[in-house]
Amino acid sequence: MEILLVEDNPGDVGLTREALREGDVPYNLNVVIDGMAAMDFMECKGQYANAPFPDLILLDLNLPKLNGHEVLARIKAHSEWKMIPIVVLTTSEAQTDIDAAYALHVNCYITKPLNFQDFMKAIKQIESFWLDLVRLPSTMISARRLGSS
Amino acid sequence: MPMNFGSPFTSPTRPTVLDRTDQGLHTAQLPVGTPAQRSLRWTPLLVSIVFTTVLVAMIDLFTSATFNGSALYTLPLALCALQRSKKLLWIIAVAVAVLTLVSGNWGLDRHGSLELRSVLVNDALLVASLFTLAGFIHLFMEGSRKSVLDAIRMQFQSDNLLFQNVQMEQLIDSSGKEIIARQESEADLEQMEVKYRGLLEAAPDAMVVVDEQGKIVLLNVQAEKQFGYRRDELLGKHVTTIIPEGFAERLIADDKRSAAEALAQHMGTGIELVALRKDGSEFPIEMMLSPLVNKEGILVTAAIRDISVRRKAVEHLAQMESRYRGLLEAAPDAMVVVNEQGAIVLLNVQAEKQFGYWRGELLGKRVTDIIPEGFAERLIADDKRSAAEALAQHMGTGIELVALRKDGSEFPIEMMLSPLVNKEGILVTAAIRDISVRKRKEQESRWMEERFQRLLESAPDAMVIVDREGVIQLANAQAELVFGYAKHEMLGQPVVMLITSNLLGTAAHQEAHLGRDPRTRMMGHGIELEGKRKNGSQFPLEAALSPLDLVDGMLVSVAVRDITDRKRAENDILELNRTLEQRVSRRTEQLLKSEQRFHNALDIMLEGVQIIGFDWTHLYVNDAVVAQSTFSREELIGHTMLARYPGIEQSPLFVALAQCMEQREAHIMDTDFTFPNGSVTSFHLSIQPVDEGLLILSSDITAKKRAESEVAIQREQLERQNKDLEQFAYIASHDLKEPLRMVTSYVQLLQQRYSDKLDEVAMEYIAFAVDGAERMKQLITDLLGYSQLGRALTTGDVDLDVVVQHVRSNLAHVLAESKCTLTIGALPVVRSSSTEMLQLFQNLVSNAIKFRRNDVVLQIHVSATEEKEHWHFKVEDNGIGIEQRYHDIVFTPFKRLNDKSRYTGSGIGLSIAQKVVLVHGGRIWITSTFGLGTTIHFTLKRK
Repeated sequence: MEILLVEDNPGDVGLTREALREGDVPYNLNVVIDGMAAMDFMECKGQYANAPFPDLILLDLNLPKLNGHEVLARIKAHSEWKMIPIVVLTTSEAQTDIDAAYALHVNCYITKPLNFQDFMKAIKQIESFWLDLVRLPSTMISARRLGSS
Repeated sequence: MPMNFGSPFTSPTRPTVLDRTDQGLHTAQLPVGTPAQRSLRWTPLLVSIVFTTVLVAMIDLFTSATFNGSALYTLPLALCALQRSKKLLWIIAVAVAVLTLVSGNWGLDRHGSLELRSVLVNDALLVASLFTLAGFIHLFMEGSRKSVLDAIRMQFQSDNLLFQNVQMEQLIDSSGKEIIARQESEADLEQMEVKYRGLLEAAPDAMVVVDEQGKIVLLNVQAEKQFGYRRDELLGKHVTTIIPEGFAERLIADDKRSAAEALAQHMGTGIELVALRKDGSEFPIEMMLSPLVNKEGILVTAAIRDISVRRKAVEHLAQMESRYRGLLEAAPDAMVVVNEQGAIVLLNVQAEKQFGYWRGELLGKRVTDIIPEGFAERLIADDKRSAAEALAQHMGTGIELVALRKDGSEFPIEMMLSPLVNKEGILVTAAIRDISVRKRKEQESRWMEERFQRLLESAPDAMVIVDREGVIQLANAQAELVFGYAKHEMLGQPVVMLITSNLLGTAAHQEAHLGRDPRTRMMGHGIELEGKRKNGSQFPLEAALSPLDLVDGMLVSVAVRDITDRKRAENDILELNRTLEQRVSRRTEQLLKSEQRFHNALDIMLEGVQIIGFDWTHLYVNDAVVAQSTFSREELIGHTMLARYPGIEQSPLFVALAQCMEQREAHIMDTDFTFPNGSVTSFHLSIQPVDEGLLILSSDITAKKRAESEVAIQREQLERQNKDLEQFAYIASHDLKEPLRMVTSYVQLLQQRYSDKLDEVAMEYIAFAVDGAERMKQLITDLLGYSQLGRALTTGDVDLDVVVQHVRSNLAHVLAESKCTLTIGALPVVRSSSTEMLQLFQNLVSNAIKFRRNDVVLQIHVSATEEKEHWHFKVEDNGIGIEQRYHDIVFTPFKRLNDKSRYTGSGIGLSIAQKVVLVHGGRIWITSTFGLGTTIHFTLKRK
């Protein structure tokens, strides 16, 4: 499974990586640190020429260059990418941010728990839910094939 | 008896060719036999009769010695001859002969006795002698006939020719006499013939003499001209050459006519035929024939006149007549033509309609049938009028009469007459107009006038109506009473007889003025004038004038009211006023002193006081006004605002002043006024209308305004700063959280992953670090909440009862733990956001719980009382209380009064409560008895 983490805070990247490590699901974590890089990754441009088609995107909102809402809007406007589950993972508790994200068809919105334990727990739950529990659409596979070929 | 005896004389008709149309052209009077001619004609007959009668009577007398009646029979014989009847003459002649023979026995003797005797022989002798005598006379007459009768016949021919010339007639006359006198003179006769030929040639008509065979035997120069032939071309020609039809036929006896009849037919006048010229053209003629029996047989003389001109004239006449008839019929009025006898001879269709007859019924009727009176009388001359006067009377317009319809109804008419003299006498044409509508109108206008008269009479005021010259035309009964003149004494008199003006000159002058400017002047605003009665006394009056613009010129109605009583009353009032004024002036003197004081007070008032006249002149300014303005008192008083402040008309101040001046309403305003020197001053003005004009109170509020605007700027700055701060606090707290989270997260990760590698001390340090991070997180969260207060996006009706119940459930755990009693009074509904209200009440209750005393059971009471403009809330507790000196600082954020070991919390609860109250426009304060309890008071605006 390919996970794309869009997160500019290396601390959070480290914590996420730690949390995922404790899980059982085999995965490959791809990290980009801003919105433009995320789009390059999706389009296999530049240094991301060989980027894989992600099965899950973890998206922070507070991003340099292109913010999380814009990245979300672009991916959800794409005919194939729009099927990729996107989880917004952010420190923002603002209702306006939540409403805006769902208006752009985000699959779920999670506020980063400030407490370390809670954070670890939340990441684990995301992992088990999206990578293990749910059944993803078949088109994902073909899309991935197209993307890789 | 001579057979042709009567023939020359049986044409006694006076051949009159009286041309009706062109009398002027031919005054053609055919012979009216003169006495001389007549005697000439009758002489042989009378001579023979008288002679025979006398002879018979003498024979009778000598033979029978009696006067035989037979002599008398010759008398009827003579009469018969006179009667010109040949047949009767014969019958009577035979009858006389028979009677004389048969009644010979009858006779009167010399003594008058009727005697029967045989006189057969005598009578036979008598008759024989009679016939012999007659035959002798006849022979005697025959002897001279050749010459005499020829002459006579010639004369008869010329008779027909010389009709128009009396002198000629006389000439003929004398010629005739001459001829008779000198019967045997052949030379004279030749001379005569030359004369007559001359006459024939001189005749204006074409003359043609035709014999019995229709051959032309004689013609004159006119005939040559008319027919276009030379004389010798026509002589001997048949008459049909020039007159193809109607002439030749008359000359001969044919199977239809006897010779006598043909002869009779020769005679004739006015025979209209068609003649033929040599060139073949035809033309109408009128022909007169007269036969002449002479030794050559019967000659017929034809006088021929070209009547083509007359024909045209007749046709023209007919055309004209039809036109005039058309005009007559088309006339809008009824037209009736009446002759001198009063009979209707002509009428038009309007007349039929108006009178209800059809034409045939009226023609020939007396005009009195339709106009019973006043028309027929005008037509005739009577003992009162000469014919000339009657004729003059025919003329006339606007004769108003009463006409009668066929159905008997009457109607008024107006008639116009015009006489027309023609050959039939005088005809009068009457144009008749039905004036019933007009009459009704006149009647109505009379009624109106009557009504107007009554109205005039019933007016309560004296009314006089004058014309433009000021002459009285009408006056009512009131006017009689007021002025003492009888009506007839006033009418026609100049109005100045009644009214003079002591103010405006004569009333006539006033009338003239009114004429130029004809407006109604009401009684109330009328002109006060002086009235003059007949007895010479004068009295004051008030007049209201109103122009009456009538068809026949402008009249002015003057309503006059005697105002003597009113004047007296006015004078009384004036007197009273005078008394009052005296009192007032005395009182005024007293007041003046106080007014002086008042003036002094005004002068030194801080507020500017000025009085502006209606003409914008400064009437009064006090010291403050002088100070406010850029002018001295002298420069203001007596000068207008307009002159002092050029351009002031455009200022809002002046607009307000003008409005106040006009509408007389007080006005208060703040305005900036720019003085001519460019300085701007803000004024607070109170403008009051006063008798003199306007009173303006002015305060210079420039400084105050400046201060106010400074405050406003400061407030704005503060608000902006406050906003910036809030924004800063929000961002700071948000951004602070991130590193804090990193700190705690990684410390905890360290604790979790490396717990087996760390000792007790390291673990304790880690615990302190985690605790510090936790508290810092709480501080940041509280600060964030505090900064966001008052930003609530949604406000609405909030039921505080519900809010406090939420607080109770939110704090249920703590309340239970502290064994606290929370009592809640009746709470209102306010306008706010429920989140902020929850924060407010929850913080206050939490605070009360936090600072409870351990030795008493905590009691918290939340209540609200309604006050004038707001609700007054109290949150009371029986906790530790707060010392008076700390009452203000408890609301400062993060200010803690107690050690945090005993009382946990960031110390921001009351700060949050305070901020919520303040952003709702309320007030928050503390009342507390240290050690016994605290009451937090706050107010919220009523809904």
